[in-house]
This record gives sequence, structure tokens and C-alpha cells, in this order.
Amino acid sequence: MDLQSLKKQEHQRRIKYGFMWAFFCAVLWGLWYLPGTAVWVLNPFDQMYGEVAASNGDGVALVIVAVLITAFNAATVILALGVWNGVLGKFGEMKRTLKEFHPCSKWFFLASIFGGPMAILGSFIAMGFVGGAFAAVAALMYPVVGAVLASKWYGEKVTKRAFIGIIVIILGGITIFGGGVLSEIGSGNVLWIGYLGGLMAATGWGIEGAIAGKGLDIAEPDVGLTLRFIGEGVIWWIIAIPLLAIIGFPMIKYALLAFEPLTMLVLVFAGITFGFCYVAWYKSFPLIGVGRGQGIGNLYGLFAVIFIFLFFGDVPSWTILVGGFLCLAGSTIMFSEDTGEMESLRGD
Amino acid sequence: MANRPVKFRILELCNSGKWNYEIVEQIQKEYPDLKGNFHRDSINFDIIELASGGMLEDVEAKVDEEGIYKKGFLLHKYVLTDFGRIRASDACLMYV
Repeated sequence: MDLQSLKKQEHQRRIKYGFMWAFFCAVLWGLWYLPGTAVWVLNPFDQMYGEVAASNGDGVALVIVAVLITAFNAATVILALGVWNGVLGKFGEMKRTLKEFHPCSKWFFLASIFGGPMAILGSFIAMGFVGGAFAAVAALMYPVVGAVLASKWYGEKVTKRAFIGIIVIILGGITIFGGGVLSEIGSGNVLWIGYLGGLMAATGWGIEGAIAGKGLDIAEPDVGLTLRFIGEGVIWWIIAIPLLAIIGFPMIKYALLAFEPLTMLVLVFAGITFGFCYVAWYKSFPLIGVGRGQGIGNLYGLFAVIFIFLFFGDVPSWTILVGGFLCLAGSTIMFSEDTGEMESLRGD
Repeated sequence: MANRPVKFRILELCNSGKWNYEIVEQIQKEYPDLKGNFHRDSINFDIIELASGGMLEDVEAKVDEEGIYKKGFLLHKYVLTDFGRIRASDACLMYV
């Protein structure tokens, strides 16, 4: 084989890996919805919801419980990533990266602010004050924010074709959850804070991706990601939970009650799926770019509905067929792009 | 030298243009915790990520006939791009 075709083959392999990682991310993210949904009905979270709702109303209860669940989620993700980095022998590199705060690790800590409190909390606020379908659709918008930011800020190439692919996948997601959104919004007076939550989710994850892309320029993905979750862990456990406890919410009491075998098992499962979905997400960015990585990652909406159907038996409405078809079409548009366009992901 | 992240050091090494096997060898020599084949491949992967991010440019390639790195695969010579220089200068390269 000549040099040129070997080069081309090598290049195609890189793109294939990138899409493969982004696809894994979508599957694991979809899978995460199983423990992510189940944990709400388990104690102590169920009990906590009841107690807070009795004094502060359902919306507030949802957000407060969400903080505790997200905090536990972050903790189990850190655990899973710790094992992962240990097996890969990357603790040395982690220490080296952490020390480079100014050029490098600060980006991951910033990413944790946008991905954690902003996106995840926003998503729960949208869920609590408007509804689950609205939250899902709002979150689907994040690749547009991510792709636009990455291209404007540090000149990531987002080809027309990639952008069309992103849009088609988003339309697919909207179709999947669409009916639910209409009935939620139509059901009467929705508080503005619910829409604000939706906006937080859409922009938070998009900004996170763009910022992470900046840090990933000069860092290892596995290491960068772990730093990002350590940042999130600090935000929840050292700042948010003590603060809420001081205001008077029963955070500490229920945090201590969470150490029940079944609850822990579900939380660990959530940590593993969420952690590795993020590993795959961050690994795809340097290979195919933030825009494409997030676009394919968006297929999680479809996978979530499928897994929830398989495990919980919630039959999705027929619109999932149309939506699923659009998701497939959008991904095909991206997969089939001529890889020559992606020789380098930066440039005009 | 082994106290900065690997990608910083790779950018530094490529300032004057280097083959990927030379970079990998140099890094493995400098970083005591990165011995073995797994880390060899992961360092090479770091180089690929830097190149796809537009910080390194692949200026020359040849087939690895003798198995210097991996027989039958391509060897690449990389050099720092202008973008890489800018990115590196606020991170690690003091002299550009």
C-alpha cells in the first residue's frame, strides 16, 4: 500500500474512533436514566422529598432533593473515575495536570461549574417546574450552543454538513418528546423559573463542552475529566450542601441515611454509567470536535426512551418512530461526511 | 523535566520538528511512570490528539519498514503550527 492511502486509512481510523466514543457516550447516557430515574423513589430521597415538600412545596422539594442526588452522583462518578485512572496508571499525569492551574486545570474547574450546578440543576428545575419532557427537549439544544461557541471562540471547524446533522438530531429529539412538551406547557400557569431551568440546561452543557475543549487542547481527556468531577464534587459537598443545611434544609440528615445497600447500589450504577458516558464524551472531542461529539452524544434521548421501555416497560408513543428515524438520519449525515474535511479540526 | 503534563512536553519537543517514535521514546525516558507498551500507545495517542486539534502538523510520513515503532504502520514527523505556538506559549513554551 502506498503512503497516501495508508495516511488516509489512518486518518479515517481516527475519525471512526471519535464517532465510536461519542456513540458510547450516547448509549451510556441513555442507560444512566435508569438509575437516574429509579433513585428518586428510593429512600432516603423519597422521604426527604416528602418532608421538604410539606413545608416548601413540590418545586422547591424537587430542586433540593436534586442537589443531594447530584452530589451523590458526582461522588460515585469520582469513585468510578478513580478506579479507571488507577487501572490506566494515570495518577502521575493527574498530579502534573492539576498543578498547571493557570494554563490548564482551571478550564476543567470552570467546566464543572457550567456542567454541574448550571446544567444538571437547571435540568432538574425544568423537570420540577415544567415537566420531564420539557427538560429533555431543552437539554437537547446544547450541541448548538457548544458548536457555535467552539467555532467562534477558538475556531473549531464546524462544517455545514456537521451542523445540519446536529439540527436533524435535535429535531428527532423534539419529535420524541414533543407531545409531552405541548401538554406540559398547555397545562396552565408554568412558573418562569422552569423556563430559566431549561435555558440553564441548554447553555450549561454547551458551554461546558466548549470550555472543556479548550482545556483538552493540552491535557489528557481521562485526567481532565476527573478534575472536572472533582471540581463538581467540591461545589456540591463543600459549598452547596453546607449552605443549604445552614438555611435549614435537612441535607446532612438525609445524606447520612443514604448508606443503605440498595440505594448505594443504584447510586454506584449511576456513577459508573454517568462517569463512563463522560469519559467517552471527553475522548471524542479531540478526535472529531466538540460540535460533532455533542451532536452524536445527543442520541442519548433516543436511547433513554428505549432503555426505559425495556427496563420499566413505559411504552413510548408512536412519535418515537419518527423521532428515531430523524436521529438516525442526522447521525448518518455526520458519519458519512468526507473525512478529508476533518484533517484538522481547526481553521477557517 | 518530568514535572509537567505530557502534552506540554510534546509541544515543546515538536518546536523543532520530531518523529513520533522519537517523541514517544523521549517522553518514556523522562517520565518514570510511563513505561511499557500501554503508555507507549497512549503517548502516541496524545500526539494524534494534538495534531487533530491543529497544534501539530504532520510534515512527513514514512512506512515503518524495520519496525522502529510498529512494523507496517506509518511514522509521522510533526512540527508545531502557529496555532500550536500560540497555545503553547501561554502554557509551557517560554522561549517562543
